[in-house]
Amino acid sequence: MPSRNFSQNYFELFDLPVQFAVDTAVLGRRYRQLQQELHPDRYAAAAAHEQRMAVQYSAFVNEAYATLRTPLKRALYLLELSGMTQQEVSRQQLDGGFLIEQMELREKLETLHDLVDPDTVLDHLVTEISGDIGTHQAEFAAAFEQSELQAAASACVKMQYLEKLLLEAEQIESELMER
Amino acid sequence: MALMQIAEPGQSPVPHQEKRAVGIDLGTTNSLVATVRGGRADVLPDADGSVMLPSVVNYSDTSGALVGARALAMASEHPEDTLVSVKRFMGRGRADAQRDAQRSHYRLGDSESGMVSFVTSSGDVSPVQASAEILAVLRERARETLGGDIDGAVITVPAYFDEAQRQATKDAATLAGLRVLRLLNEPTAAAVAYGLDAGEEGVIAVYDLGGGTFDISILRLHRGVFEVLATGGDTALGGDDFDAAIVAWVVDELNLASLRPGQHRGLQAAARHAKERLSGAESAVLPVDKIVPGAGDLTLTREGFEALIQPLVKRTLRACRRCLRDAQVEEVDDVVMVGGSTRVPLVREVVADFFQREPLTDIDPDKVVAIGAAIQADILAGNRPEGDLLLLDVIPLSLGLETMGGLVEKIVPRNTTIPVARAQEFTTFKDGQTALALHIVQGERELAADSRSLARFELRGIPPMVAGAARIKVVFEVDADGLLHVSAREETTGAQSSVTVKPSFGLSDEQITDMLQTSFSHAQEDKQARQLAEQRLDAQQLLEGLDAALADDAAELLSQAECEALHQKMRELRDAAAGDDVEQIRRLTESLGRASEAFAARRMDKSIKQALAGVSLEELDKEISE
Repeated sequence: MPSRNFSQNYFELFDLPVQFAVDTAVLGRRYRQLQQELHPDRYAAAAAHEQRMAVQYSAFVNEAYATLRTPLKRALYLLELSGMTQQEVSRQQLDGGFLIEQMELREKLETLHDLVDPDTVLDHLVTEISGDIGTHQAEFAAAFEQSELQAAASACVKMQYLEKLLLEAEQIESELMER
Repeated sequence: MALMQIAEPGQSPVPHQEKRAVGIDLGTTNSLVATVRGGRADVLPDADGSVMLPSVVNYSDTSGALVGARALAMASEHPEDTLVSVKRFMGRGRADAQRDAQRSHYRLGDSESGMVSFVTSSGDVSPVQASAEILAVLRERARETLGGDIDGAVITVPAYFDEAQRQATKDAATLAGLRVLRLLNEPTAAAVAYGLDAGEEGVIAVYDLGGGTFDISILRLHRGVFEVLATGGDTALGGDDFDAAIVAWVVDELNLASLRPGQHRGLQAAARHAKERLSGAESAVLPVDKIVPGAGDLTLTREGFEALIQPLVKRTLRACRRCLRDAQVEEVDDVVMVGGSTRVPLVREVVADFFQREPLTDIDPDKVVAIGAAIQADILAGNRPEGDLLLLDVIPLSLGLETMGGLVEKIVPRNTTIPVARAQEFTTFKDGQTALALHIVQGERELAADSRSLARFELRGIPPMVAGAARIKVVFEVDADGLLHVSAREETTGAQSSVTVKPSFGLSDEQITDMLQTSFSHAQEDKQARQLAEQRLDAQQLLEGLDAALADDAAELLSQAECEALHQKMRELRDAAAGDDVEQIRRLTESLGRASEAFAARRMDKSIKQALAGVSLEELDKEISE
């Protein structure tokens, strides 16, 4: 059953401007407010079809919130709204400098296991990666505002690479904790 | 079953009555039932005044099962007929359960479905059936205390329970004749019990160490909304393991080579008593000689005990660390302790040290889950004014599909807020491929072989195309109980297939119906009468809901003609529901439901607008006050 709100984009749903910068406090407040009204628990005593609809609406709001809350997902979503498919985004050519930096960071992560005091080095690496992610987020925001979609997509792919690296760092951290 | 009351056409529906709703903590060691009366949630005692029902079922007497303390008393004498800690076996495959079964001296039955069953003097018994016996005793207790049939129940499960374990719990409730309003995660229930009491705001951690399971959850409380940020744990770690560690120590110290099952059970009981005493005392004597004559007694110091359980307690911290990271919070404002095993001083010390907070223990850790469940049941039954509390829970384990090479593609990652619907596109691998086999798995591992297999189904009727040309959209939907439905559709032709995930070793609907008919409480109930009553209940719910909705919004959202069309269908359904043609009631309910969907959608849209308008005002207030 197509409904007006399912075709709304996520920014409209939360009554926010279509841009990369999001006031997460406002987003969170509006999210909770919407779920207060739409969550299936509010329809526990209602008829089955109304419950089903509440599940759909509530899931839609959850998806919208999850997308806008996370910077990387938000960036990908903005590109999608601008008509760029995921394949087009991932086909972006990255400059050699960035790729070399990536390889170096990865090598550092891989040698952590052999260190006597890996924690300090790991903390340092995580800070460095997080800082880089912040830089590319700013790049994305600027490029997207200027409607330079190729540059925005390229920043987005870099964010993707670095997020993946961050996940690997966390994986290594938990392995270190367990040894 | 009470006869349904149906209002005359044109008359207003019966005034809203308080529903009898209960919360049930179906625990590994003990189970409890609680309800809200006069605005206060409390656990219900049995005739002897005890609130905890030992989760033990004995099948020695073929004329009927014994449940609770009386069953527990049979444990040493009839170990194979006495099922304890049955929750550990819920929803688990036979192979999976073998190790635990050996430790507990059960004989496992052979079942073609691969589902676990125990061989007892009364025949094969599944964990679901044993759990249903426990639930039925609690349902009876509530019925007697509240003076009538129970309208609905919220049953708690460990947050870390997987799909199969949740489904098994729901099956047990159905078998016990309970209508499940919601499966609620135990830590979330505990947070509700505390949150409502204190009117808390902020981030809280719930550390739940029960008899057989460990759960950790991080929640954010904000204006009556409980948002679960992350959850984790271990379904095979609990106080039982503390007991087992003591037993292993005794066996080792005294060189007890071969023990009979009864002696083993005796040692387990002695170990549990020693553990409980060591919460207060510095040492405890284990009367081994009484159990294994000639072996002599042993003394266990608190220090010795703490050394034995140290590795187990440390294992819980690993889960805590990961959960904090998943929740993306650095620290928590409060720590809530749940479960009898959190009475162990070492556990409290370690947890306080880890979170840098003195844990809250004001509410009895054995009762707090049942109390939270009762509050949620009261809300879901519609006994409370709207808007005072909402739970936003997450799925504990990632859900995905097996792809080429046996790898897992995660579709819904763990800690995603439910309900959720996620779609992903796949394509064919070979030229001319007309079918696609889908294997749904759960867990964090990268290989499908290492993950929990949930279900397999096939999408057929894909038109022959070159490899990679078909566009197959797979949608995962998880409802508010955390139960999964998967559908697949070939986008160019519309070929479609779907499955509501039931674990391969769960019960089929037919099995449940069969069991219901032969089981204790429903033997006398006629299937036909049951179906009629259920169908009438559905009809009544729909009519009541629509009456209320029309009273609120008909004038604003419906045209005269639309309104009249709905009223016409409602009259038809009311007439049908007064008769006893099950099929006709079902058909008209379905038809009215469909006819009212557009109205329901408009009402939702209106809610969204109102919700945001409310927020704007609230924000304005804030700005003014700042």
